Amino acid sequence: MASHLLYNIEETVAMILFGIGFTMLLLHRNLIKKIMGMNVMDTAVYLFLAAKGYIQGRMVPIVTDGIQEASAYMNPVPSGLVLTGIVVSVSTTALMLALTIRLYERYHSLDLDEIFMQVKKEERS
Amino acid sequence: MTLVQNFPFFSIILAMFSGILSSVLSGKQARNLSLAALVATMVMSAAVLAYCLGAGESYTYMMGHFPAPWGNEIRAGVLEGLTALLFSMIMLLSVAGGMRYTFEDVEASKVNLFFIMIDLMLSSLLALIYTNDLFTAYVFVEINTIAGCGLIMIRQKGRSFSAAIRYMIMSQLGSGLFLIGLTLLYDVTGHLLMSPAKAAVAAIEAAGSYEIPMLVILAVISVGLAIKSGLYPFHSWIPYTYGYATPTASAILSGLVSKGYIFLLIKIFYRVLGQENVIASRMVNVLFLFGLAGMIMGSVHAIMETDTRRMIAYSSVAQIGYIYMGIGLGTENGMIAAVFHMFTHSATKALLFISAVGLYEVSGEKKDFRSLRGAGYRNHLAGIGFTVGALSMVGFPMLSGFISKLLFATAALQTPHKMMLTLIGLAVSTVLNAIYFLRLVITLYGRGEASQLRAQGTEEGLFGTGEASREAFSGRKSAPTVFGGAIICFILLNLFLGLMSQPVVRAIAAGLAMFD
Amino acid sequence: MEGNMILLLPVVLPVLAGITILTGKNLRKNRRMLLGVFFFGLTGGAFFTALALGGEYHLHLWQLTEYVGIDFQIDGVARLFAALTAVVWLLVGIYSVTYMTHEEDESRFFGFYLIVLGVLMGLDFSGNLITFYVFYELITLTSLPLVLHERSREAVAAGLKYLFYSIAGAFLALFGIFFFASVWGDLTFVPGGAEAVDLAGREGIFLAAVFCMVLGFGTKAGMFPLHGWLPTAHPVAPAPASAVLSGVITKSGVLALIRVVFFIAGPERLRGTWVQQGWIFLTLLTVFMGSMLAYREPVMKKRLAYSTVSQVSYVLFGLSLLEPTAFVGALSHVVFHSLAKNALFLAAGAVIFQTGWTRVDEMRGLGRVMPVMLGCYTAASLSLVGIPPASGFVSKWYLAQGALASGCGAWSWAGPVILLISALLTAGYLLPLTIDGFFPGADFDGGELKERELLGREPSWQMLAPVLVLAVAAVLFGCFPGPLLGMLQRIAEAVL
Repeated sequence: MASHLLYNIEETVAMILFGIGFTMLLLHRNLIKKIMGMNVMDTAVYLFLAAKGYIQGRMVPIVTDGIQEASAYMNPVPSGLVLTGIVVSVSTTALMLALTIRLYERYHSLDLDEIFMQVKKEERS
Repeated sequence: MTLVQNFPFFSIILAMFSGILSSVLSGKQARNLSLAALVATMVMSAAVLAYCLGAGESYTYMMGHFPAPWGNEIRAGVLEGLTALLFSMIMLLSVAGGMRYTFEDVEASKVNLFFIMIDLMLSSLLALIYTNDLFTAYVFVEINTIAGCGLIMIRQKGRSFSAAIRYMIMSQLGSGLFLIGLTLLYDVTGHLLMSPAKAAVAAIEAAGSYEIPMLVILAVISVGLAIKSGLYPFHSWIPYTYGYATPTASAILSGLVSKGYIFLLIKIFYRVLGQENVIASRMVNVLFLFGLAGMIMGSVHAIMETDTRRMIAYSSVAQIGYIYMGIGLGTENGMIAAVFHMFTHSATKALLFISAVGLYEVSGEKKDFRSLRGAGYRNHLAGIGFTVGALSMVGFPMLSGFISKLLFATAALQTPHKMMLTLIGLAVSTVLNAIYFLRLVITLYGRGEASQLRAQGTEEGLFGTGEASREAFSGRKSAPTVFGGAIICFILLNLFLGLMSQPVVRAIAAGLAMFD
Repeated sequence: MEGNMILLLPVVLPVLAGITILTGKNLRKNRRMLLGVFFFGLTGGAFFTALALGGEYHLHLWQLTEYVGIDFQIDGVARLFAALTAVVWLLVGIYSVTYMTHEEDESRFFGFYLIVLGVLMGLDFSGNLITFYVFYELITLTSLPLVLHERSREAVAAGLKYLFYSIAGAFLALFGIFFFASVWGDLTFVPGGAEAVDLAGREGIFLAAVFCMVLGFGTKAGMFPLHGWLPTAHPVAPAPASAVLSGVITKSGVLALIRVVFFIAGPERLRGTWVQQGWIFLTLLTVFMGSMLAYREPVMKKRLAYSTVSQVSYVLFGLSLLEPTAFVGALSHVVFHSLAKNALFLAAGAVIFQTGWTRVDEMRGLGRVMPVMLGCYTAASLSLVGIPPASGFVSKWYLAQGALASGCGAWSWAGPVILLISALLTAGYLLPLTIDGFFPGADFDGGELKERELLGREPSWQMLAPVLVLAVAAVLFGCFPGPLLGMLQRIAEAVL
């Protein structure tokens, strides 16, 4: 079992990172840390994808000197997915950060509980 | 290839480009463009539906130059066409019905941004409906989330920002799980297109290998999409987001967005993981139990709530529970009932949100539902619309909610081991629904401050505020008629689903059959 | 859509007239026009009902789902209920024109009154269970504004109570409908119930479903344990509304049980089961309990409402025996109770209208105020108590005969005994008013009556005539029950 984990070290690390990111996003009260958690989570997925795409001993599928057999190259699709994923996560991160700035300007706090409390107070008045 | 077969792609791209174009247009132009895009989408979806019904089969549409296992694909069948048609129709009505409030709630310089979000939302919903590619689905899930977040925070108030951040956090948790599920699935099957992935899954299941990874994939994808669609107990963000957004946004978010994710989940169950595998894995039982819990707890929360809009939002939690319960029954009839309830709930909830705002307007914008006493006399159409919506949610015959319940119960009677639980759940939840919805309806027609408020209204300009801002946007004098028209269309849609459900149910059954 | 459209007219015409009244702004100001539309709806509804009852019509409107459509048809039971409804509605309508002058918002009352008529016609003509259920729910909804009419806190509370009991009841019933929809498939009403259905292995759930429907539909008929709304909701409505609520709308629960037991489930499948036993027990309990509560109730309209609880359960008792003679007795009691109870409620309304009295002990010396009205009250009371030759006697005789012949063990003799006790109680709570009214005793000087100038204040003929017709009919049916009983016997033969 343990040797399996060691043998697939990239996947193992990716899953651990995903767990860390997920927990951070779910449980952390600080908004910035939440966003960091989200990024860790996404990055874990990219690591996983990249690890899946790479096949040891094969070439990058960039053709310079004639096409060899398909088995000579590694899988390019995951790399493409990673790129797409990065674009997506960058935009969501940007949106979250923008929201965070707005909230901070308004409530002078990054602590989510604190913000919600102030929102409630604001509503009552 | 006929012209009609291009329509799914056209509608997605049309919505997307009108969003991009709107960024340089004024608010009013953006509105017109977005309405035109919605109408065009509606027509095209109807054409797709008619085509698929006529042909009796679905078709795939190649995107780009690469054929099946590598390229990207769109797939359209009866269910896709029907869903796209209903979604665009409901969206059009929500946008039209909430138009005046949109212009009141949103800063004049930002109105076009609102319509960009609407266009993006439409585009992403259509893409979720039509796509045949899992990663494309993920990308559009994220676009949908961003558009939804934009719709929530466009009001620029403190509580809309806090609602938006709640929504983003929960959505990101859901998308993250969905994404890791996809990557695992890709890892196991080597495909992202649904059809080849399904073949690979079938081979894996036949070989009996990868048992645990498959279960993990199923669980992670289901939970991810369940979070995003607000299944109990992942519902905590729903009352904030639906309750505080501008009415159009509330109607679209609760009526359509959550349904888009559910549709995607159903599609993944049928087209990738294989419905029989999903049933065999007992995952359906989990969904079933969560659905039941949602049905009851959502209603209990709604009863304890005094803010009308939050009450309606909690009722969404209950209704989403119904849908998952139907999926959880694990039979074809259960699935048909779930899909039908999806449509019912979209049409009804949007109606409720839109008419609720009409009632608020004449009652001084207080949040407590008791302030609505007698509002039904002050805004007749909104009162009738709300009553119809509430009765439909309670399951009153002739309205769509009744047909949903009939379908759920008949489906339950065919699954002996879940029958009692379902029926009891349905009964309890309906009684609870009745308690808070009918309490509201009776309040609407109760006597009390109605006459005083009317007197006050004319004197202190309680109605004047609305009037003034209405006039501020001149050229929209027809807005009240648009509101009324939207309400009437919603009521007709509800009656249609309630009275002539047969063709819809048949189409759903045919569409589900085409999924295999 | 196929079949004869004439079935639609009695349903649609009153509803349209009602909607016209509710929405027409001019009508609210012009009372003559309002009444014109009102009577157009009423008489039109009655006329087309009479036309529709003439033939064996059938109408299929459209398919609702795969198996069930919206169907209308005319059969014996439909004829009985529709004719009764139309007649009573017309009479009470005439009465309400005067009565409603002392209530607010009369146009709303008239509007919903007409709509309820249309919906009741739809209920009576329903050809299958789903159609029936649709109209059944609509009745709850459209009759609610009648209960809520005063919009006082008390009325709203009563209305809510009515609504929740009705919905709870309808849902219990709906469970049964779901069962039948999935097992029976075709929910068309067939006399004697569908025969070909194989119940093997599902007897338990079948009986449970039927029992749920008995309890659920029993709600509208005021049957224990879901009877609580009736004594609250009926009295708060204006008198004409409480009259039709008590006299006619409770009968929709009866009609529901007739349709379910005799036209869907089949009496043969139920005979001797725990469902029948339980049902008989519940009805007898309700009969007794209703009479007891009525006996102890001082407020006149409430007393009459409790009396309804008891009397409608007479009908249900007759049905639950699943025996032809008792069935005839039950259906005839539907007619007799409806006539008598309407007369009683209208009389109570007239008292409120003329004097403002609501409690029975205030009504001493009533005979000097309105002797004719009190005479009508007495005639209707005698009919309800069952003193020959008034009509109640006939139905109770048939009920007792049926009970003794039914072979239901102990119930065969316990039933008649309880009916007898309840009849005594009925006399005990209805007749004292007659006695105190006509013979207030030597110590009664009528001072208050003179002071308020109430002596000889008989209500106008518009209020008096309907009560008179109802009361006379209640007595005359007892003297000449032949034709009615003949018709009922034919129905009974068809279903049993």
